[in-house]
Amino acid sequence: MKTFHMKFYENRKIFFSISLAIIAIGLIFNAIFGVRLDINFKGGAMIKYSYMGEIEPAKVESIVHKTVGRTVSATVSKNIKSASSGQTLDNVTLSFAGTDSLSVANQQAIQKSLDQVYPNANFQIVESSSVNPTMGRSFFLKCLVAVLIAFLLLDIYIAIRFRRIGGTAASVFAIVALLHDVAMVYFTFVIFRLPLDANFIAVVLTILGYSLNDTIVVYDRIRENRRLLGLKAGYGGLVNISINQTFTRSVYTSGTTFLSVAVVFIVANFYHLNSVTTFALPMMIGVLSGAYSSICIAGPLYVMWEQHKVKVRAAALPEKHEKAQLSEPVSAAKPASETTAKKEPEKETAVKQETPKQGGKPKQAAKPRPKSKGKQKSKGKKKKR
Amino acid sequence: MKRVPKPVFFIVALLILLLAFTSIFGISGQNGDNPTTYIKGVKDIRWGIDINGGVETTFSPATKTKATKEQMDSAESIIKLRMVNNNITDYEVYTDYNHDRIIVRFPWKSDEKTFDPQKAINELSATALVTFREGRECSTQTTGSDGQPVYQNPKGVTASDIILQGNDVKSAKPELTQNNTTGKATYQIALQLSDSGTKKFAVATKRLKNQTISIWMDNTMISWPTVDDVITDGNCVINSPNGFSASDASALANKINAGALPFKLTTTSLNSINPTLGRSSLSAMKLAGIIAFALVALFMIFVFRLQGLVADISLLGQVALMFAAISGYFPFVHSFTMTLPGIAGIILSIGMGVDANIIAATRIREELWAGKTLDLAIANGNKHSFSAIFDGNITTAIVAIILMLVFGPSNILSAIFGVSTTGTIYSFGYTLLVGIISNFVFGVFTTRLMTKSISGFRFARSKWLYGGPKE
Repeated sequence: MKTFHMKFYENRKIFFSISLAIIAIGLIFNAIFGVRLDINFKGGAMIKYSYMGEIEPAKVESIVHKTVGRTVSATVSKNIKSASSGQTLDNVTLSFAGTDSLSVANQQAIQKSLDQVYPNANFQIVESSSVNPTMGRSFFLKCLVAVLIAFLLLDIYIAIRFRRIGGTAASVFAIVALLHDVAMVYFTFVIFRLPLDANFIAVVLTILGYSLNDTIVVYDRIRENRRLLGLKAGYGGLVNISINQTFTRSVYTSGTTFLSVAVVFIVANFYHLNSVTTFALPMMIGVLSGAYSSICIAGPLYVMWEQHKVKVRAAALPEKHEKAQLSEPVSAAKPASETTAKKEPEKETAVKQETPKQGGKPKQAAKPRPKSKGKQKSKGKKKKR
Repeated sequence: MKRVPKPVFFIVALLILLLAFTSIFGISGQNGDNPTTYIKGVKDIRWGIDINGGVETTFSPATKTKATKEQMDSAESIIKLRMVNNNITDYEVYTDYNHDRIIVRFPWKSDEKTFDPQKAINELSATALVTFREGRECSTQTTGSDGQPVYQNPKGVTASDIILQGNDVKSAKPELTQNNTTGKATYQIALQLSDSGTKKFAVATKRLKNQTISIWMDNTMISWPTVDDVITDGNCVINSPNGFSASDASALANKINAGALPFKLTTTSLNSINPTLGRSSLSAMKLAGIIAFALVALFMIFVFRLQGLVADISLLGQVALMFAAISGYFPFVHSFTMTLPGIAGIILSIGMGVDANIIAATRIREELWAGKTLDLAIANGNKHSFSAIFDGNITTAIVAIILMLVFGPSNILSAIFGVSTTGTIYSFGYTLLVGIISNFVFGVFTTRLMTKSISGFRFARSKWLYGGPKE
C-alpha cells in the first residue's frame, strides 16, 4: 500500500505563497472590476426573452429605452440547447441599469413595443426578475447575518471540540483556514465576475462546514499520533506524518465531492443553466480550497506556532537546560530551515495531558539540531506496513 | 469478531434495492377509475417554480403609511381567493406584517399554453370588488379544491341589484358568541357600516326581510346570509346555524374588509420562470445526477474493490432515502418542494456521501497492510472510523440546519429582515441535511453489516478484495 511522504511543513512557504497569490489576484480584480451584487441583493430588473429570426441588440435597446425611459443593455445568446427537447432557442437578455424594479405595466409595455417592431420574432419570457432595492438590501443583510451566525456556531463547536486537540491556538488556526476558504469562494465570484447572489451564501455556508471537518480530521490525527509516537520527529515531523496518514482520505473524499460538483458544472454550462453554474463553479473551488486549507495551511501554521512557543519559552528559561535530557533525542526532526535551525523540540502546554509517555517537558535551549533529511520515512510509521 | 450470518448481505442488499425501486418509481394502482398513489415516487415530487415554471412576486400597499394587520390580512385573503378561483392550489403566500409585504409563489399551470406572468400578476393584485347583492342567483357552480361548491357569476336580480359596495363597510370583525341551541362558544362576524351604507342597508333589509342578501368578492359568492331583522343602525352580525369556526370567521371578515382597503397593491418584486426553461433544467440535472452517481460508483469499485461495491449499494440506499424524504414516501414526512439548488444538494451529497465509506474502507485497508487478519481488520477499521465519520457529519449538519433556518419561509431572521423572497436555497439546506442523515444510516450501519456478512463467504476472503496486499 502506498503511503504518502509529502513534506507539508517544509513546503509551507510555497503553500502560503499560492494562497496569498490567489488572494492578491482576487484583490486586484476586486479593485479593478469591483464586485457585482445580484438583482436579488441590490434591486434592479432583468428580462430574458426567447425569440425567432434575427434581431439587432442595439435596436432592441433603443426600443426599450424609448418605451420605459431606462437605459438597458441587450445581450443575445444563440442556440441555447434544451435538455428536455431537441430544439435550440435564441435568447435575448435585457439588463436594466440602476437598482429600481420594473413595474408590471412597464414589462407589458416593453413586450408590446418589441412585438410591434418584430412581429415575427414571437418574444416569450424565459425568465424575468425585478426586485425592489429595499427588499434586496434587507435580503442581503439577512444573508450576511446568516453567515455570521454560522461562523459563530462553528466557532463554538471548534472551541468545544478543540479543547481536546490543541486548545486555543488550534482553534485560531482552524478559523484561519475557514476564513481562507471563504476568501477563495468570494474571489471565485470576483475573478469570474459572477454577481454575488443567494448561491454565494449557500456555497460559503456549505464550505464552512465541509472544510472544518477536514481540519478536525487532521488535528485529531496529530493528537493521536503524539500519544502514539511522542515527539521524536519534532512537531514538523509529527504534523507531516499525521497529514500524510489522513491525506488518502482527504484526497478521496474531496475527489468524489469535486467530481460530482464538476459534473453538475459541466452539464449546467452545456445547457446554459446560469443559476446552477454560479452554484457549481464556486462550490468546486470551495471543495478544493477546503481540503487544501486544512492540509497546507492549518497544519503548518500549527507547527509554526508550537515552535514559536518553544522558542519563547526557551529564551525565557535558559537555565532549565538540563531538563531537556528527559525528552527524547531530536535526531531526525526536519531539515532545519533557517527559521527552525535553532528550534527546540517541542513542549506541551496546551496539551499536557495528552502525552502520557513523556515524563518531562523537553526544554532544550538553543541547541542546534542536527540536520538530517528524509528522516521521517524511517521513523514514525505507525501502521503503514 | 462477531460473525454476521452470510444471508444478511443479500437481505440488506435486497432491501436497499427495494427501497430504491419504490422510492424512485413509487407504487400506484387503479382504484376503480381513479389512479391511486400508494407510495410516492420521484414523479410525485413537488417541484419549485424554478423547475415547474411559475411566478414569485411581492406585493406591497401603494401607500406611505403603514398598513394595519387587518388590512394586510384582507389583502392576503384577496390574493388567496383569486388563486383558488384560478385553480392554482399549489401556491404559497407569506405575509410580513412588519414590512407590509405579501410574498406569493405559484407554479405555472400545466394546461396553460402561453406563459404570461404579467397578466397573472395583474389579475391577482387588482383592487378587490366586494358587493352585497340581493338574492343568490348565479350562473356557474363548480366544486372547489376543498370539495365545497363554489358559486360564481351573479345573474338575474342578483346581478342587477347591488345593495352595498366594499367601501360602505367600515369594518368586519370576527367575534366570539354563544350558540343559542348548543350553548357552545362559536364565532360570528360583526359588521359596521358607514353612514351612507347604513342608510342603504336599512332600506334593503326592510324590503328583503327573511330573504337572502349575498356577499361577493369579484364574481365569487363568499357568503349568503338571510336577513332576520331590519338593520337600521349600521351594526349587524353574520352568523351561521352552527356558528363559524375561528378561522372561517376571520377568513370571511378579511374578505369583506378587502372591499374597503384604502390602498392598491403594487408589485415590488417579480421573478418569473418559463416552464420550458424549468423542464430543460430538470432534465439537465437528472443527467448530471446519473453521471455523477456512475462516476463515484466506478471510482469506489476501482479504489476499494469489493468494499467499493458494498459502498455503492449503500450509496444507492442513501440516494433512495433522499428521494423518499423529498417525495413524501413515508407518511410521517411531508413532501418537500424541490428546487434546482435542492437537486444540486442531492448530487453534492452523492459525492460527500461516500465519505463515511471511504473513512472506514481506508482504515480497514491500513489494518490489512499492517498484517491483521481480515476479520480483525474489518472490526478494527469499523471501530476506529466511527468518531471521524461522526465528526465529519456534525459540522455539515450545523451548516445545513442554518441554511434551512435562514432561507425557510418563516425563520429566525424574518422578524428583523422580513420574509425572504428566495426560497430556492431552503431545499438545498434540506437535501444537504437529509444527505448527511442518510449517509450516516447507510454509510455506517448497512455498510458494516454487508461488509461483515460478505466477508464470511469463501470467495470473499481474499484481502486483496478489501484493498489489502495480494496473497
